Amino acid sequence: MGEAEKTFLSGLHEKLVEEKVIDESQLDPGFAKEIAKYGGKDVMTCLQCGNCTGVCPISLKIDYKTRSIIKYCQFGLRTYTLGTRWVCATCYRCYEHCPADINPAEVMIALRHIAVREGNIPPFVKIAATNLVKYGQSVKPDPEIDKIRKELGLDEVHSKHPEYKTVLREIAVLIHATKYDKLIGIEEEVKV
Amino acid sequence: MTPYAYFFGCVIPNRYPGVEYSVRWVCGKEGFDLDVKDINEFSCCPVPGIFYSTDKDTWLLLASRNLTLAQNERREILTVCNGCLTSLLKATEYLQDPKNMGKVNRTLAQVGRKYTGIAKKGEGKRRVFEPVKVRHYVEVMTKEVGLEAIAARAKRPLKNIRVAVHYGCHYLRPTEHQTIDDPNDPVMIDRIVEACGATSVDYEDKLDCCGAGGGVRSHVVELANSLTQDKCTNIAAAGADCIVTGCPFCLLQFDNAQKTFSKDGIPVMHISQLQALAMGIDPISLGFDTHHVSAHSLLRKLRGA
Repeated sequence: MGEAEKTFLSGLHEKLVEEKVIDESQLDPGFAKEIAKYGGKDVMTCLQCGNCTGVCPISLKIDYKTRSIIKYCQFGLRTYTLGTRWVCATCYRCYEHCPADINPAEVMIALRHIAVREGNIPPFVKIAATNLVKYGQSVKPDPEIDKIRKELGLDEVHSKHPEYKTVLREIAVLIHATKYDKLIGIEEEVKV
Repeated sequence: MTPYAYFFGCVIPNRYPGVEYSVRWVCGKEGFDLDVKDINEFSCCPVPGIFYSTDKDTWLLLASRNLTLAQNERREILTVCNGCLTSLLKATEYLQDPKNMGKVNRTLAQVGRKYTGIAKKGEGKRRVFEPVKVRHYVEVMTKEVGLEAIAARAKRPLKNIRVAVHYGCHYLRPTEHQTIDDPNDPVMIDRIVEACGATSVDYEDKLDCCGAGGGVRSHVVELANSLTQDKCTNIAAAGADCIVTGCPFCLLQFDNAQKTFSKDGIPVMHISQLQALAMGIDPISLGFDTHHVSAHSLLRKLRGA
């Protein structure tokens, strides 16, 4: 078993097989509508042709089958779909090959929207957002790289200029306006 | 000449300064002398794998803020990264919907900004606005500079260098927004490589994903690396001396992942670095010391050539 498979041992499929029976209490009939609210197309129109899984680079590697996830969305199996780890690479191959024009990649993005609103926030989201608030960039500056910039004769990264403070203030105001700071729990970083 | 504004994003300035140097060199006085300037108020595009994935309202606002800066300078955005391309391009499409534009502008007003698009000149009394244009470096090189000019400036012989081109997903898809190249048979980077005098080699599953995008690298790095490993196996089988990509995040993934599964690895670089190399830059300015996979094997072959 490769490393990738090991990290995904508690996959979606296994969970379903383990529990065998799904009763009605696990189904949420409004789930498809909720997905549409966050920009996903109507999952109910999925033909279950499986093209999306066939072209998905991630489906090749691990127990993550795009078609199955869309099917669980149709059923309204919230817990299963929202519990899926964020492994869609958003390569949009599924979008190009979907005859029903569902755009599964956008469904995955809608699922992430819902997961975040249920408090399931991966740490790297907080880190990147915090970097954006602090430095205006989602990648943290590295002093070693700054040294090499100097050696190459490049200017300092523009986010280090004193004038950049006004930009950081704008970013803070905008993030606060959409309540994104509260949503992902970085309120203490955003000073408005 | 089209006026452009550099948009380097986050990865290049903070991880691969050599790419920034090469781009500035190729586009600047010593290269093709394009009309391109810096806008120091740009922020992160913002990165689609984080912001577009978790809150589209915030994503659109931050992207629109960047777009207003280019709009006010009446410049097209020149991105050097597939992620910035997809994020900003998608935002311009969203803003075509007056409802979205209205909503964005109501919040942007809090920071004294407004997105309208760029007003076209000389259209009579009624002002017509065009969306801010977002261009990828590869597109600008192909369409604005042209392959002939690139070939004419290639003075260092790269004939023996076998290059494996990796396009990266967001350069090609979704075709709803991205229409630079043929998504099933892209050619632009290959043609630039050939114009530089190097040989672009074909390899199996050339259009496959590097594995990093969408937060996969950040979330399950082993999975991302396993995809990269498959790509590298195919690239090695084709006997390539280096990997050339148009995306710094793919570059970062190839560069970092390789140390987890191979001892030496295949050197990776941005297309601008290869161009600068062909145009005769001193390799020391390419910033290869910030790359994890050493470029020694490649440079040695170059000296022998």
